[in-house]
Amino acid sequence: MQHEIATPLADRSPTIVVVENLVKRFGGFTALNDVNLTVAKREKIVLCGPSGSGKSTLIRCINHIEKHDGGRIVVDGVELTDRMADINGVRSEVGMVFQSFNLFPHLSVVENCMLAPMKVRGLSRPEARERAMDLLRKVRIHSQADKYPAQLSGGQQQRVAIARALCMQPKIMLFDEPTSALDPEMVKEVLDTMVQLAAEGMTMVCVTHEMGFAREVADRVVFMDQGSIVEEADPETFFRAPRTQRAKGFLNQIIH
Amino acid sequence: MNSLDFSILLQAWPYLWSGLLFSLALTAAAFVIGMLLGTCFALVQHFEVPVIARIVRAYIALIRSIPLILVLFWFFFLVPIVLGHLYGNGRPIPIGATWTAFITFGLFEAAYYSEIIRVGLRAVNKGQFEACQALALSTFDTYRCVILPQVIRVASPIILSQTIILFQDTSLVYVLSLTDLLGAASKLAQLNGRLVEMYLVVAVVYLAISSAASQCVASLRRRYPLTGAHK
Repeated sequence: MQHEIATPLADRSPTIVVVENLVKRFGGFTALNDVNLTVAKREKIVLCGPSGSGKSTLIRCINHIEKHDGGRIVVDGVELTDRMADINGVRSEVGMVFQSFNLFPHLSVVENCMLAPMKVRGLSRPEARERAMDLLRKVRIHSQADKYPAQLSGGQQQRVAIARALCMQPKIMLFDEPTSALDPEMVKEVLDTMVQLAAEGMTMVCVTHEMGFAREVADRVVFMDQGSIVEEADPETFFRAPRTQRAKGFLNQIIH
Repeated sequence: MNSLDFSILLQAWPYLWSGLLFSLALTAAAFVIGMLLGTCFALVQHFEVPVIARIVRAYIALIRSIPLILVLFWFFFLVPIVLGHLYGNGRPIPIGATWTAFITFGLFEAAYYSEIIRVGLRAVNKGQFEACQALALSTFDTYRCVILPQVIRVASPIILSQTIILFQDTSLVYVLSLTDLLGAASKLAQLNGRLVEMYLVVAVVYLAISSAASQCVASLRRRYPLTGAHK
């Protein structure tokens, strides 16, 4: 209900995600400390930073896989709270791609893509299958539609995971180090898919160390360290002339 | 001592067959009841449902620490007395040997299947739950369509092993004077005095069925290795 009321407002708003003063703790460890981030519709943001800097935690908070301890998160006009009855209303608008793919091993590729549209969106089996095949074609893996995830390479599995998320027709896509678990020769096929998606106008927040991708696609690079956003800039500025010492140190390390 | 004479089998066969059918029916019923109830028990513990999870844990610990034969006696002698106090004037209400067997085996096996499924639930990769969350699947659909099918697959060799044990344990209904495969054989043996032949024959039947099922377990293990089955 809350969601339905909020949608018309959200449609007029230029932003899709607003994060304000976000705090997230794991026990005594503060993973996110007073983080502020606004994502505009159709914007592509690359989040980078050393491991443990909180970048994955930040995007996991955006679809409430991690529950935040302080601050506000508003997604598509709806504030995320622990008490909210219909978190799935928000989640169904937010696609997520994981480092370890997390495909369902007991379902075929096409069934992986059909499950949520049928259960959450109420599509019939033929409708869900048609949509799944369209999107599998888009990520160029439709010829493998009836195989099982374990029969595919890592790059192919990740492209299926992207198609699976797209089948929900999300308003924003979150990528959590989508190429980190891949063999080097498979990174490109996944990045190409993401570039194509970006070109079609999808709103994207990507945690990645692929700096070529960041240069090509990102409107903004957000650099995090120790749970805080340290620096934000367009990719050209960020890579050529990082302002902070920490960003300089980080860039030196990953360019090696 | 006479030499072995298996010709009596020709007459004995129909009675043994009906005994075998009872054993198989009891196994099947206990499997279905045990799996359904056991899955519920496992989920109650998995979700840490207040109070109920504790009761379920105590129940499982109790059932698993007493012999099946004792549980059979309990049900056979105690439940009629309890029912009598609840619904009558204190006179025991007999529930009959057959009902006792089906109910007891179902409840008993539930405790064992529940442990198998509970362990299986813990073995499911955290990423599977997160993927379901990210796709906005309801908790019900998450478990029904994603988590439990994987648990059942990975645990199927252990579930089947437990079911083989269950099939052999059905012979304990002997103590309730029910005619299962072993019961049929022993009654015939006492009638015709051919103890050795009868007990040899039922042993072969148990062996054949159990080893066929074990072959299934082995092939399941090859198909779904227990560790690192799928990423």
